[in-house]
Amino acid sequence: MIIPTIFVVLAFLGLLLILYIAKGHHSTAGNLDQLASQLRSVDVDAFRNLIDHREQDYLRERLPANEFRGIQRERMLAAVEYVRAAASNAAILIRLAEAARQNSDPAVAQAADKLLDNAIRLRLYAFRVVPRLYFGMLMPGVSLAPIDLADAYDTITRQVVMLGCLQYPTRGMSSAL
Amino acid sequence: MRPLCSRCPFTRRRSRLEEIRIARPTMFATRKREIDCGLLAKSLIFQWPMLFLQYYLWIAPHLLLGWTLVASFRRGMHRRLPIFFAYAAFEMFQFLTLLALSLLSPFPRDIYNWTLVLETGISSCLMLAVIYELANTLLLTQSSRAELLRPLLRWTLVVLMFVAAVSSAALSGATVRRVTNIFQVLDFSSSLVEVGMLVTLFLFSRTLHISWRNRATGVALGFGISACINLATTALRSGLGKSAFIAVDITQMAAFHVCVLVWLVYLYLPNRALAFAGSGLGKSDIQFWDQELQRITGR
Repeated sequence: MIIPTIFVVLAFLGLLLILYIAKGHHSTAGNLDQLASQLRSVDVDAFRNLIDHREQDYLRERLPANEFRGIQRERMLAAVEYVRAAASNAAILIRLAEAARQNSDPAVAQAADKLLDNAIRLRLYAFRVVPRLYFGMLMPGVSLAPIDLADAYDTITRQVVMLGCLQYPTRGMSSAL
Repeated sequence: MRPLCSRCPFTRRRSRLEEIRIARPTMFATRKREIDCGLLAKSLIFQWPMLFLQYYLWIAPHLLLGWTLVASFRRGMHRRLPIFFAYAAFEMFQFLTLLALSLLSPFPRDIYNWTLVLETGISSCLMLAVIYELANTLLLTQSSRAELLRPLLRWTLVVLMFVAAVSSAALSGATVRRVTNIFQVLDFSSSLVEVGMLVTLFLFSRTLHISWRNRATGVALGFGISACINLATTALRSGLGKSAFIAVDITQMAAFHVCVLVWLVYLYLPNRALAFAGSGLGKSDIQFWDQELQRITGR
């Protein structure tokens, strides 16, 4: 009777999870303003600096081993925070891009498509990077520089501004590009 | 969703009447004749609500499914989710076949059982195809990351198949009848695979924050509810044996009823895609991203 009980428990957990996620889908529908208020600023330069292996080598050469391990741990924790902020922004951009995809202007819809694609890629990438950063915390000597994430964030930032220009051409956003 | 042969309400009523007919001479031979007859009459009275419930849970969800089919055809869902449409049509066909068989006299028990097993197999394959269709509609076509997500779904399926095979062997509450054993393994395995695939799909959408269209969400949610309850009840059936057959049957039919109701409700809900219409990047969003870009380009 143990195995059936395990499956019964798993089935009910699965049911609760499905209901919870389905409810979440409904409650966030169209609530874009609320999503936009959750945007967090990400300093890409600071992030690049944190994951730069030359910087890491420099610190390793100059600092005693114990001190280096402590500092490296804090640097990786800070990098994780940056990655989480970038992933959170990407999640919001996915919703914004989905909304923009319905625009009647094909140029806007196409730009939104690209943005959606890259935002999903960034989010997936962020999920893979976080465990690597934690591993970097445990093994300070190993180089695990996830430099692609910073590039991906650069790309989606450009795309979202481009989308803004297409949607609101009178706001003079092109100066930013 | 359909009752198993031994639990088909029509068959059960008929077999019960036969039991009464056989039992009567014995009862008349006993000295407690009046008491026995009274108990029998009482038990029959108490069985009617249960019998009605079984009829209701067998027939009503399929009437609603017919309604869903017609309404979804009118709304062009057969073009957007053709496999789901085929699945629903097959469920109707299965119901009509089994209903026709159960009304035959004498009741062709073996034909009914094997038809049930065969149609359950086809139905499970179709349901899996529907899950892939939902994955395509909800997740994969929305991004070029399909190359990444497809293998993940494929591997999830492989793992679930393996777990289903191992746990089916572990759960094998083998009965004397081969057809019942096949049905139990098939029912349990398909429920496990469906639950696993649906949970994976829901988790994907949650993790990536990809929104689902209303009707597709309804289809996935309906399947999810039904598959989870089926998994729990099929596992219980294996654990508890024959004594749990009727309770399991009623619970599964009730779950299918809820599933069809969910499909119907979502079919009539306004499509959520419209909720986004007119919304786009707000001024504050653009300012935020403009600042982000200036910081990047100004480095």
